[in-house]
Parts: sequence; C-alpha cells; structure tokens
Amino acid sequence: MKDQPNIRILLVDDEETLLEYLSKRLLKQGLTVKATFSGEQAIEAAKDEHFDVAVVDLKMPGMDGVETQKTLKETQPFLQCIVLTGHGSIETALESGQQEAFQYLLKPVDYDNLVTVIQEAYKKKMEIQETKFREQVEEIYRSGLGAHGIRKAISDLRKIYGIA
Amino acid sequence: MESHSSLQAELKRVKQELASHKIELHQTRGYLQCILQNSEDMIFATDVDGMLVSFSMGGGKALGYSWEDVAGMRVNDLAEDPVSFEQFMTTSSQDGSTVQLDLAFRHKEGGTVYCDVSMINLTNREGQRVGTVGVCRDITLWKKIQEDLVRIDRLAEIGRIAAGVAHEINNPLAVIGEASGWAGVVVGEAKGLSPEDRQELEKAAKEISHQTKRCRNITHQLLDFARDSAPAKTEFDVHDLLKQSISLLKPDLKHTPIEIDLKFMPEPLRISSDPRLLEQVFVNFITNAIYAVREKGKGRIEIRTAKTDSDVEITFKDNGIGIPAENQQKIFELFYSTKPPGKGTGLGLPICRNIVKKLGGIISFDSKPGVGTSFTVRIPVS
Repeated sequence: MKDQPNIRILLVDDEETLLEYLSKRLLKQGLTVKATFSGEQAIEAAKDEHFDVAVVDLKMPGMDGVETQKTLKETQPFLQCIVLTGHGSIETALESGQQEAFQYLLKPVDYDNLVTVIQEAYKKKMEIQETKFREQVEEIYRSGLGAHGIRKAISDLRKIYGIA
Repeated sequence: MESHSSLQAELKRVKQELASHKIELHQTRGYLQCILQNSEDMIFATDVDGMLVSFSMGGGKALGYSWEDVAGMRVNDLAEDPVSFEQFMTTSSQDGSTVQLDLAFRHKEGGTVYCDVSMINLTNREGQRVGTVGVCRDITLWKKIQEDLVRIDRLAEIGRIAAGVAHEINNPLAVIGEASGWAGVVVGEAKGLSPEDRQELEKAAKEISHQTKRCRNITHQLLDFARDSAPAKTEFDVHDLLKQSISLLKPDLKHTPIEIDLKFMPEPLRISSDPRLLEQVFVNFITNAIYAVREKGKGRIEIRTAKTDSDVEITFKDNGIGIPAENQQKIFELFYSTKPPGKGTGLGLPICRNIVKKLGGIISFDSKPGVGTSFTVRIPVS
C-alpha cells in the first residue's frame, strides 16, 4: 500500500470501540485518520483540518448522519461522504434529504469493501476538486491580475482547497 | 223450529272455526319444520326427564348425529360433562329459562364442539312443564379463529422482537469484525512468535472474521424478511438496475471464470416499481446462479429481458448444477438451503417471492439437474 495516496479520512460514529479498531486498521494501511464520536465533534474537527472522505454513521444521538453530512459539505464542499446505515434506514436516509452521499453502506460493513469505497470516493473527490481548481486558476489568469496578485490568489485557493 | 236452525248455524260456525284452526296449525307446523330443518343452530326438545324428543338438522351438522342416532338418548349424554349439564338443566327448569355460554358437547366422531346454549321450559296449556327446548349455537370455529388470532399475534410479536434483536446485534458484530481484523494485522507483524503460534493465531483471527460475516449475513437477511414497508415506487430503467446489480457482485465474479451474457431488449425498459426491492431480487438470483455454475468449468449466466403490454419479464438462466426434481417443491420454503452451512441462510428465495408478490408480480422457474436452471420474474410495468 506504499503507492497509495495519503487519503485523509474523517470517521464519525458514536460506537467508540468500533472506531478504535477501524482507525487502527486504516492507519496501518497508511491513511490519515481522525476519529470523532458525534456529528458536533466532526464539524468542529472539519473547521481546522481538511479531509477527503468522511465515513458517517446515520444514526447517532444528537446530530444525525444526514445533518452531519450536510454541514460537513458546507465547510468542505469537495468532501465525499460514505454513510453507514442500519437496516431499513437507507430509505429514510434517502428521503430525509438529497444530500448526495457518495455511497450508503449497510452496517456492519465489510472492511475490504469499505476500503474500496473509500478509495473510489477519494478518486471522485480529487477529480471534482481538480476540475474546479483548474477552472478557478484559469479565471484568475484571465482576470488580468499582476504576477504578485496571481500568486496571492492561487495561494488563497490552495488554502481553500486544502492542497498543501 | 227456530232453535233447530240456530243450532245448525252454530254448527256451521264451529266447523268453519275448526277448519281455519286446522290451516293455522298446518302453517305453524310447516314453519316449525322449516326452522328445524334449515337452522344452522342445534335445536332440541326433551321431555320432563331430559329424554330427547326432537333434534334439528343443525344439531346433526354440529354433532354428526342423525335423529335416529339420538332418539331415546338423554340430552346430557351429548354433553362432554353430563353431570354438570344435568345441573344446568335443573337450574333452567326451576328458573323457566337460562343461557349458558361456551358449553362443550361431544362430536359423534370424537372431538369437542363448543356451543352457546339457551334453554326454555316447554309448558302445556295448564302451565305445567312438559319438557325443555334448547337452542345451541356452534361457536367451535369462532373459538378456533380466536385462538389462531392470539397465536398469530404472538408470532408477530416474536418476529418484531427477533428483528429488534438482529438490529441490536449488528453493532457488537461490527466491533467483533473490526477487532478480529485488527488482531490479524497485529499477529501478522508481531515479533517473538514461533511460526506455529503465528499460524494458529492468524488462523483464529481469520476464523473470527469469517464467522462474523456469517452472522452478519443472517441478521441482514432476517431483517430483510422482517421488514414490511410498503414498496416505494419510482420510474427507472430495468436494464440499468440489472447492470448495477451485476456490478454489486463483481467481487464474487472475480474469482471464477463466469461468462455473463446480457440479452437485453434494444430499447430501454422503463417501469414504475420499487428499484431497491427489485435490486435485492436481482442480486439474489444472480448470486444463486453464480453458486450454481461455480463448480463448472465454463459457467454461463444469461440475463434476458422481454416486455408484454402490461408486464416486463426478466429471466436469469444458468448452465449450472440444476435443482433435483424432489427439491423443486421446497426451494421457496423458509430456511431450506442446499448450500453448506455458512453459505446459505435459506431466506433468499422466500424473500424474493415476498418482494415480487408485493410488487404485483410472480416468479416462475424451470430446472433440469445437470443442465441448468432459469428463474423468471414477471412484474407489472406500473
């Protein structure tokens, strides 16, 4: 797994033991993992750190998965969310808002399957992000700013996109 | 002279009166006969000693006896408990009438017949009691339905509890699965273990993961079965849904050389139905087909679509092992499975049948052992 890009993952689930083991395995695979135990915690974390993929449990006390996902995407619009649902709640999830999760997975998830979906979600995130980034960079060039202005605008953009 | 003619007139009047009484009596008898022959209720009459003097056709239906069978019998001999029936008769004769619910009689062929019984004293013109009339309504079937309802209600409750338990078990199962996966990773890299110990531990960790997956399959399928939400209809293309279902099974298809042959109609097959439920059905049939051809060198699964005015037909045909004739009756039975333990739950096809039924369609199949099986799902366009 050496060649794999450094995917930054945000885990959101109130089942702390589950996240403990899930985090360990994902870390071992070379991913960057942040585990949070509620929607509120996740949103707090997303203020300081950029993530590529969020894995969100649908049913949590307090802020639920749909609401969490929606708020996360407001802060980080390119973030792809994988929503974990209990049985029979996929419909509820779909009805409760067209929040466009990258994918809904049935709990308990199969680890290998989860990793595959995370990688797919990451790919999609990068595609969308790069397209948008390129568009905006071109716009900056077209805007006729001076060299200094351009450098500053691009650096701002990088910050927005979380690209180091 | 005058008295003679008046006497004659009197005689004529009496004759007329008698004739009209005769007609009335005839009519009353006919009316009574009609009731006794046609009422579903068991109607009987006894003399003062409780000896049967009349027994209706309804009684024959309820207890299996004809009038010839019971003529000369005492009515309490028909009851399951003659002694308490006798007491009940006595009470009734003292009070003039009485009603007793849920009284047990014996059927001629054995078995118990339950009746609600009302009894009335039969009196002559002088007001003396000459016997008893009883009207008995057979409530055996009603009682059985009531008992069934209670049983069904309990089963439904057990179903709800089972679904709840399955749902709750999913969380610890997830933790077990992750913990065993992690244990496997740690053991794989641990230092200071003898090769044998490492092998044993890795095997154990893998086994825990494997069995966890098995439990997960069971809980998922059970919940699928227990879920009874109304289908949510949307419009979609059956071909897209089939392709999506196949792509869900990519991991299973990876390890075996199976050719999937799509014989779709050239135009899109748009229908209004529940895509989620239908996807479950498709995945199930494809999974079964993969399982059936897995042993063969050249596995082939053909998925064909067709359309009539009101229905669409999706056929999943494989060249697998087939279903032996003696098993074909059982494939839709709950928990019937020919897969080895851990591979099949015996819930797949019953669930499919429930879903397709719910969507207004039917499943048919055709199978020849050694040649293959084809399942056809037929569902309405909207």
